Amino acid sequence: MKNRLKVLRAERDWSQADLADRLAVSRQTINSIETGKYDPSLPLAIKIGRLFDQPVEEIFTLDGDA
Amino acid sequence: MSAKTAATTAPLITRPLIWAGAWFAAWLIARVVLESASVPTWGRVVAALAPTPLAAAALLTIVRGARELDELERRIQLEALATAFVLAVLLLMTLGLMELAITLNRDDWSYRHVWAMLPMLYFLGLSLARRRYA
Repeated sequence: MKNRLKVLRAERDWSQADLADRLAVSRQTINSIETGKYDPSLPLAIKIGRLFDQPVEEIFTLDGDA
Repeated sequence: MSAKTAATTAPLITRPLIWAGAWFAAWLIARVVLESASVPTWGRVVAALAPTPLAAAALLTIVRGARELDELERRIQLEALATAFVLAVLLLMTLGLMELAITLNRDDWSYRHVWAMLPMLYFLGLSLARRRYA
């Protein structure tokens, strides 16, 4: 699964630690999501969507999708 | 979601470590008592079982800590335990077969030595899982 988390975070000038604090997860979780090593749970994906005020499917896309 | 950030996860690690340390200390004391003192059989059984309440306390803190872990950390712990479990089964199965194949020195391969390999297998699994998500 691909995601735009790094771009969205950079647009707000947040560090990984800032985003981790806002989502109540570890910085390692943010790093693993951004690098595509870990796909977040549905509750965390929804939380990310709400934080960036975007639908989850605009942040996360399946590998086969355009 | 009740996940904790890195700053608040320290007690989740230190509390189980303290209880595990106390458990290990009780095991060492029990071992010294059983190996050196001339204690009646009932006393020997009590000494052998004495570390159990501390193990129960360690278990409780580990389970409570696991519930508070961040979701990625939970995944890492699951992979570490899965690896350690399979390796532990492999170790015990292989030791069982080796017992049939050759004469193993019981002093080298008794339960009081072999158990120490199990935490090592967990730390090996943890290291592999951490590397995967680093």
